Amino acid sequence: MTTDASQTITRIAEIIINELKLEDVTPESFEPDLDLVDEVGIDSMDLATIALVLRDEYGIRIDEDDYPKLTTVRIIAEYIDTKLAEKE
Amino acid sequence: MKTVSSLLDAHWYERYKRISRLNIRSSIYDVTDRCNLRCKGCFFFSSGEHERAAEEKDIDKWHAFVEKEMDRGVNLAILIGGEPTLCMDRIEAFYKHLPTFCATNGLIKVDRDRFPDMMVGLSLWGDAEDETTLRGQDTFKVTSANYEGDPHAYYLYTITPKQLGKTEKIIQKIENVGLKVHMQLLSNDEDVNGFSWQEDELVAIREEMDGMLDAYPGTVISSKYYHQVITTGEMLGRRFGWNECPSVTISRDNRDPQPKRLTNFIRWASDLKTVHRCCTSETRDCSTCKDGAAHMSWVMVNKRAHIKTAKDLQNWTEVYEMFAKLYQFIPW
Repeated sequence: MTTDASQTITRIAEIIINELKLEDVTPESFEPDLDLVDEVGIDSMDLATIALVLRDEYGIRIDEDDYPKLTTVRIIAEYIDTKLAEKE
Repeated sequence: MKTVSSLLDAHWYERYKRISRLNIRSSIYDVTDRCNLRCKGCFFFSSGEHERAAEEKDIDKWHAFVEKEMDRGVNLAILIGGEPTLCMDRIEAFYKHLPTFCATNGLIKVDRDRFPDMMVGLSLWGDAEDETTLRGQDTFKVTSANYEGDPHAYYLYTITPKQLGKTEKIIQKIENVGLKVHMQLLSNDEDVNGFSWQEDELVAIREEMDGMLDAYPGTVISSKYYHQVITTGEMLGRRFGWNECPSVTISRDNRDPQPKRLTNFIRWASDLKTVHRCCTSETRDCSTCKDGAAHMSWVMVNKRAHIKTAKDLQNWTEVYEMFAKLYQFIPW
């Protein structure tokens, strides 16, 4: 994993923790492959909230149709990287 | 951080996973402003909602409307009214495209050749005496004959304070005609004398509802947590009301802070343009609203708040399962 990818994962974890007010976890200890729906209990409204913050942070639009695919922090990071690459 | 698998054993975790990705997106539709009954306490007529909009009569516009609703992400159409079965072609406009639930008084039978697997909710307001007092006739005689043994129909039993001590007879007669039943509480929008809930009655009916679920688990579709929430109006120390209700039409929702709510929920009037404030009457006091679906949804949208203890999460799972069964997302 590159430093950039690792930083993206940590930053996304931080956004999720802050937006959802998750307790007893830090961006560094957040398991990037933890299933956000099955394990953390995130729903589509949570994802919409997170998507707005990610849009502002990275300047990308996350399609609502893509929400079901965004099941882990690592997958979200890869999704953002792909979107950023498409912009370049 | 508490995770789902850290709280649930393998049995409960499987149950949770079965419903955790259903992503149900419902909206509610007034199919018509007319009804073949005039029940005392019916919010639709008592609040004047039947006069808010002129029915759209062009069936092509109904089909086009449903397609737009699908584009909006709706995957469950809940049809109410008025009495939807007065307009079968409008029901068909939804049924052809979307999972559809039809709330009806059951006096007109839905043709199963035309709507083979549409879930039908049959309203029932108590025993013959209460039905006659509130609705002008005992509908059970007709509705049970129309739907006996139908696997895609169940009774929506609206319990009134007068039903205390009498619910078992009702549950038994529903079981005897081979149907399921879901229990909810009357909100008494027209202040019919003797039909408003008192605190001690709510305590007693909760116990009675729990007892019915224990005694008739194959017939009663419910959960004790739902009974707790709807009779106390409380969930995890929070009180139900305008600031918490999840079933507010999205374009009418100016609440700040925004509570957890049903995604893109709208309750449409029958002109297909007008929207109502919420899933029930605008004239109703939210702090005393007993709407069953709103309370169920309140639990369902607050999933993460229930990821605290095993019991909380089991309660959430049971309520979600109940909703998913009532709207046919999982089998009985």
